[in-house]
Amino acid sequence: MTIVIGFEGSANKIGIGIVKDGEVLSNPRRTYITPPAIADFSFLPSETARHHRGAILTVLREALDEARLKPSDIDCVAYTKGPGMGAPLVTVALVARTVAQLWGKPLVGVNHCIGHIEMGRLITGANNPTVLYVSGGNTQVIAYSERRYRIFGETIDIAVGNCLDRFARVIKISNDPSPGYNIEQMAKKGKQYVELPYTVKGMDVSFSGILSFIEEAAHKMLSSGQCTAEDLCFSLQETLFSMLVEITERAMAHCGSQEVLIVGGVGCNLRLQEMMGVMCEERGARLFATDERFCIDNGAMIAQAGWEMFRAGQITELPDSWITQRYRTAPHCLTLRMITQKTPNAHC
Amino acid sequence: TICVIINLIFLYCRVSALAVPFPSQWEASIAVRSLSPDREPRKGGITRTLSVTENILSVKWTADEARVLRVAIASFLDHLALVMETMDAFGQSVPQ
Repeated sequence: MTIVIGFEGSANKIGIGIVKDGEVLSNPRRTYITPPAIADFSFLPSETARHHRGAILTVLREALDEARLKPSDIDCVAYTKGPGMGAPLVTVALVARTVAQLWGKPLVGVNHCIGHIEMGRLITGANNPTVLYVSGGNTQVIAYSERRYRIFGETIDIAVGNCLDRFARVIKISNDPSPGYNIEQMAKKGKQYVELPYTVKGMDVSFSGILSFIEEAAHKMLSSGQCTAEDLCFSLQETLFSMLVEITERAMAHCGSQEVLIVGGVGCNLRLQEMMGVMCEERGARLFATDERFCIDNGAMIAQAGWEMFRAGQITELPDSWITQRYRTAPHCLTLRMITQKTPNAHC
Repeated sequence: TICVIINLIFLYCRVSALAVPFPSQWEASIAVRSLSPDREPRKGGITRTLSVTENILSVKWTADEARVLRVAIASFLDHLALVMETMDAFGQSVPQ
């Protein structure tokens, strides 16, 4: 029996989760929400860190209380080592290091992306999927091969979630509960498709041109009444998600994969899940997705990845526990899945 | 409650020193090990040295610009306060 507590706060969400042998015992979370159109980048690092500092000890108390555990029951403390925003990452790492020392427990630094993947695998039961990781800060197609998570394709500029969030600010959509969710609701009422640039580049994608184009289109077409904001939300989703489906399918074909797992905050989007589901059905593959409890950044996903690392003997010494804003998925976890690997790796 | 006295000394040559007494050496050591790993965000222009002598945590900064120094100190004090609050809220579980 191994119980791991995980600390996540790399962007505007602060969460602490406790996992015991594949079971999520608690997973409280807080979101830093700013007014719409307050800035080009909605939540600034220093403001986000201030929010997290104000909330983290309350969330920690909640996590322990909900799990009905005492600190002495915890076996390992996991935290997000990166990637993410610098100041919020430091805030969370400080608390993780401090409680690890207070309680006399080992510390594990977890890659944020692998946290999403491992929680996705745990919750959905996917064994060796092609992973589409889509959020406000990341857009990657990842597969596990030769003992590493490898990036087969990714955005070459901004993340798809960032594109959606910034478009939301252009048309002044509310940030509550999240701009992406509000775009999704408006898109359901869209009736007219507005053609937008389609910028798949082999296995990679680019979103900055689409964002610039639709920002200009929004000003022109909305003021002249050629289309509604709902039409633009609909059109943006159709274009962006089609691109994501294409690069995912290309990776599946390359690796001979029969499973797709969508993780990250944008993975909550039901239209994306629907489009990916159609592609999988046509290929005779299975689609896995989690609900909003685990799609969105949370502490339990860090605890789960930390659980696997700890059981594989990977510990982070305190002097090496610095955070890093850039932390590539690929170099990570050489021995991960020694324990949980059920079938031979897909041969890529 | 942790009692803290902070002595902040600014010198003209943009060097700053901070001494923070903790109730015990154990707590001071925990704090310095929590605060040490992260580097200053700025690539150059500032250095920071942390050390513990008995129950006193000492910090020394050297910076090229007063503005950089001020930002670094403000950030450090926020982090220090969080570490102290964490010890205060969750430290009783394991006696020294």
